[in-house]
Amino acid sequence: MSSAAKKSKRRSATLGALPLTSMIDVVFLLLIFFIVTANFAQDEHKLPATLVTEGGGVQSNDLQPQIIQIMMQGATPVFAMGEVAVQDAKSLESLLKNLPKEPGVAIKCEPDVPISAIAAALQAARDAGFQKRSYVPSDG
Amino acid sequence: MSKKSSKSKHMIEVDLTSMIDVVFQLIIFFMFTSQFGELRRTEIDLPHQPGDETEVHHEPAMIIDLTNSGTYIVESVETSLIEIERLARAGVANQDVADPFDVLVRPDRNASAIHLDRLLLRLSNTGVQRWKLATVDGGRGS
Repeated sequence: MSSAAKKSKRRSATLGALPLTSMIDVVFLLLIFFIVTANFAQDEHKLPATLVTEGGGVQSNDLQPQIIQIMMQGATPVFAMGEVAVQDAKSLESLLKNLPKEPGVAIKCEPDVPISAIAAALQAARDAGFQKRSYVPSDG
Repeated sequence: MSKKSSKSKHMIEVDLTSMIDVVFQLIIFFMFTSQFGELRRTEIDLPHQPGDETEVHHEPAMIIDLTNSGTYIVESVETSLIEIERLARAGVANQDVADPFDVLVRPDRNASAIHLDRLLLRLSNTGVQRWKLATVDGGRGS
């Protein structure tokens, strides 16, 4: 054995073997822990509304809610309130801001309207300050 | 020097490695079991709206996923409207004033309103009066 090899063997004997097994265990456990606790899902929000059926839900002494009718014009949903019709949720919100809030607002829509338009109408009503928001499912 | 080394020989060596292993295993177990409710939710392209931030965080009694093709999913299982009505009826029967039965609908944003209407009509037949529409952030109007 050469003198260099002897020297290195002596050095490693002095340092001793470093036990890495437990450290790897702990590192992997930490890794799994952080993977499990990490939230990859998008935060979900909620838009609450009351459920009213046609011909029911509103009593005679209640104020009649203002109705937002959603319909399709080509491929675009349109929000109509009486004679006025708007094509985007921002304009609907501006329109709703000028209306009295006490009677509340009811949303009705045609069967082919995408649900994103219903969500937009509910959001506009909420942002305009309406506390009473209801949705009237159509039975057609 | 020799005194010190003899002292350390008498000290009991506490090996914490196994204890840390067990503690982490327990933490992981509890994390998994407490997150199952969230994991059960089907991946759905929800409408992009900021929602109502003033809404008090309250776990809904029933969560119904509505896919683009009009399939209703409850607890990761495709469920018929008849079965949903039966479940809702049982929930409404067991509700109390402090904790009314409420439903969270998680619809695909491109699904047609007819599927939502069919579901809500069934729910209204059972006496459900409040429902919530799930949304995600990501720009308005989509």
